[in-house]
Amino acid sequence: MEKPSSRVPDEVQSVFDRARDVIHSALVSYYRLTETEATGAEEDLLVWFQRLARRGGAGQMPGKLLRISLLSAACQYGRSFQLWKLGGDASADPELSALLSREPDDVATDLERRFEEDRT
Amino acid sequence: MTGRVIHFPRQPLSSEAGQQAAERVLATPMIDRYSWAEELRLEDPETLLSLCGILRSQGESAPALVRDEAEFLYRFIESPKREIGLFDEREYFLGEFALLAGAACRQLSRREEAYVWFDRAEAGFRHTINAAGDLSRLGYQRLAERFEERQIDVVLELLPSLIESFRSLEMHEDALKCRFLEGLALMETDELRAAVGTFEEICEEAESIGNALLAATAYTNLTHIHGMMGNAEAAMAASSKAIPILRRLDNRVGLAKVQWGLAALLRETGQLTASIEAYRKAQQEFEAIGMRADIAALNLVVADLLLEMGRGREALAEIGAALPVISELKMAPEGMAALSLLRESARRQEINRQALRELHGYFEELKG
Repeated sequence: MEKPSSRVPDEVQSVFDRARDVIHSALVSYYRLTETEATGAEEDLLVWFQRLARRGGAGQMPGKLLRISLLSAACQYGRSFQLWKLGGDASADPELSALLSREPDDVATDLERRFEEDRT
Repeated sequence: MTGRVIHFPRQPLSSEAGQQAAERVLATPMIDRYSWAEELRLEDPETLLSLCGILRSQGESAPALVRDEAEFLYRFIESPKREIGLFDEREYFLGEFALLAGAACRQLSRREEAYVWFDRAEAGFRHTINAAGDLSRLGYQRLAERFEERQIDVVLELLPSLIESFRSLEMHEDALKCRFLEGLALMETDELRAAVGTFEEICEEAESIGNALLAATAYTNLTHIHGMMGNAEAAMAASSKAIPILRRLDNRVGLAKVQWGLAALLRETGQLTASIEAYRKAQQEFEAIGMRADIAALNLVVADLLLEMGRGREALAEIGAALPVISELKMAPEGMAALSLLRESARRQEINRQALRELHGYFEELKG
């Protein structure tokens, strides 16, 4: 009984574009990815996000919930990438260590709050 | 969710190319798909996403095909373990194909199989980014299955929480879908007037959000209820709204159910021979899409009508046709008890009409 997603691709791109700065700064400042790594991550995230918006049920989801999913994916990406770079060793940077010990969804909630604050 | 970084060995497909690839996959015999997987772009998430959309749209026109295709795709992704797309996409596709297979099994009354598919869907969806939405869609299918097993109390207990989940996620169409279960529960408890009110509200809301399929399904249920109440004009009006949409969408399950509703109307207005013919037409439509439980249910309804007309021998033949299917599909306990009685009475060539009614009452509420 479900109808396919009726979301316009432009709307999805717009949600992504508005979150791009927050994502970029999280990847670089929080998760310590290089500029090049962060740019590559954003390209992957955009491709993934465009498909997420066409999944079953996602066609009805409002922009805000889609953005929360996007921020969560960005944090999971950043964390996994940094852990892979560390190759199992602990980071010498205490701030990074503290961040890597947090759940990505938890960090994404902070980012969403920041996004809302920036907007207002 | 692993957050792994994946580098595509080939350029990923566009959504248009994914749609074309999906159509090529479905046109290729299953037996050849493993060896041609690369040419078919079967591991590309765009292909798989389009396949999900195509199968979802066919759930009510070809459930047997959807079940087989969804199983094939689930197995293809699951073993040997294939890396699909980015982030959570492998888990999402496993969950979605399992959900599609389970929902199709539900339509086909393959209940035990449906539960296993729902468990598989849960295993996939637990690891998706949007787990709350995905698991809520699964929750709807599970509740619908429980409704079909006549666990009305369980459905009514759990339905408000599911509706609340959909509302909090702003998935308003899914929240509206849940109201179908509320209306059907009212039908089941013989509160037909209240059920009419519920389905009228659903029609109004579905039309206001432009969801033709939900509106048509609600009109189908209104056809049935008005038929059961003997309200000829209202039943015909509801069916005339449902049929054009269902035809346009090739929703064969819905069309068969409208036919069933019209047959109930004919019966209620005393046109017994015409009613039997209408039930036969509904059976033919169910047969074309492999819905054996519904065919068996209608065999019992027709048997009841034949008894009413004093045609006992023909009624026995109808019951004889239904019993193996009902037994094979393992209906609910009360249905099985009635089945034993009926089997015994059929053996003695004397129909226990109460047992017959208890058994077909399992499928729909009949009066008098």
